[in-house]
Amino acid sequence: MLDQSHTYGHHASQSANSSPGLMDTTETASPINLGQWEEALGLIALNRDKSAYAGLFNYFAPRLKAFGIKMFGNEQQAMEMVQDTMLNVWQKAALFDPTRGCASTWIYTIARNVRFDMLRKKQSRKDDISADDLWSDGDYPEQEDNQSHSWDLYIIAEKIAPHFAALPPAQRVVMEKVYLEENSHQEVAEQLGIPLGTVKSRIRLALDRLREAVDGQQR
Amino acid sequence: MGNSVKHHPSLSLLEQFCDGSLTAEVALLVATHLDYCPHCQRLSKDIEADLACSFATASAPAGQDDWLSMMQQVLAQPENAAILSVPANDPVVKNLEVGGHDFELPRALQRLSSRRSKWLTLGGIATARLPSGEPHHVSLLFIDKNTAVPQHTHKGLEMTLVLAGEMEDEHGKYVPGDLIINTPDDTHTPRNNSDVPCLCLSVLSAPLHFKQGMTRLLNPLQRFFY
Repeated sequence: MLDQSHTYGHHASQSANSSPGLMDTTETASPINLGQWEEALGLIALNRDKSAYAGLFNYFAPRLKAFGIKMFGNEQQAMEMVQDTMLNVWQKAALFDPTRGCASTWIYTIARNVRFDMLRKKQSRKDDISADDLWSDGDYPEQEDNQSHSWDLYIIAEKIAPHFAALPPAQRVVMEKVYLEENSHQEVAEQLGIPLGTVKSRIRLALDRLREAVDGQQR
Repeated sequence: MGNSVKHHPSLSLLEQFCDGSLTAEVALLVATHLDYCPHCQRLSKDIEADLACSFATASAPAGQDDWLSMMQQVLAQPENAAILSVPANDPVVKNLEVGGHDFELPRALQRLSSRRSKWLTLGGIATARLPSGEPHHVSLLFIDKNTAVPQHTHKGLEMTLVLAGEMEDEHGKYVPGDLIINTPDDTHTPRNNSDVPCLCLSVLSAPLHFKQGMTRLLNPLQRFFY
């Protein structure tokens, strides 16, 4: 069966962020309108649509700045990263492929790569290892989602409850909703106001983390 | 491909790779592992989606930044001003010849390999450095068939990724894509007991450069499951 997580992501309805107390505040504070940014990138790519770009800019620039300050520890470089990232978003929008993931993931990875190369440049090492060598611009083929089902059985069979608490909050909430409250992945996506692809990603990451934890205990 | 990758980076190492906080030389090793390992490719895509979702759903910090003028500056740039990380015009090297053998290089090493140093040969072993900064040392390591690497010590961590052929040490046998990490406490004698030559990527680092979070580097359980 093919994993459809990425194609679902931008068709999911924007909904159900109203249930209080379900998620840590960072997730509920500012629900994203699913599909909006993928559509904006499409308009930018096709029509050089400046008003679509302005909407995207206003949403992402301040968040990119916060990310930049966290990574650089200073405002000037953070702003340089924002501008360079947003320039890439404007000029490379045609390279965005919505079947491979969300707009926010694409923008995040551009910012990460811009930041990496800025750091190398600062160290006069720009001709050495570059972001381009490290991150392959999404050209890996999509993998089939062939593990989740066997892991479902595994996870129920094993005593993993104590390890739930040690998961990162965003992954723990998704796991609780799927495995303890028995919601479907789609329901969880709607309840939390996050893309379906992210629900699936968080489940896979949590399962891997739980495997590490269970194994650590056995040793 | 009968043999599959069994020795993977830990989730914590993959996370640092995905958020870009890993040292470039170690990141190169992880990136090269990904070229061989569909499992870790998928995990890293999942981690990126997770990180990006947290980034995009965070509430916007308050501030008086002049976003409008930044946006106008962006729009005023000439087309093709955006360079998504285009390094110097190095040729891409897809195949590498050493010791009379021709090796196919993984994507992550194809550009950098054009900047390698000359091969240093010692018996059935040869090394060539790739560009890297202190205190790291990145090199290609060729081990001819039926050849042992002399026992060696190192102050920092030694990370090795098998690129072609196979090798083994006291702990097991390694095939292309397998990641081997040795701390200064480990003594090991890698050797190639097979009748085909082996090519590895090796990253040596000074101990000072390794910070917290790097303690758990290999995912021990994955040896069981994959």
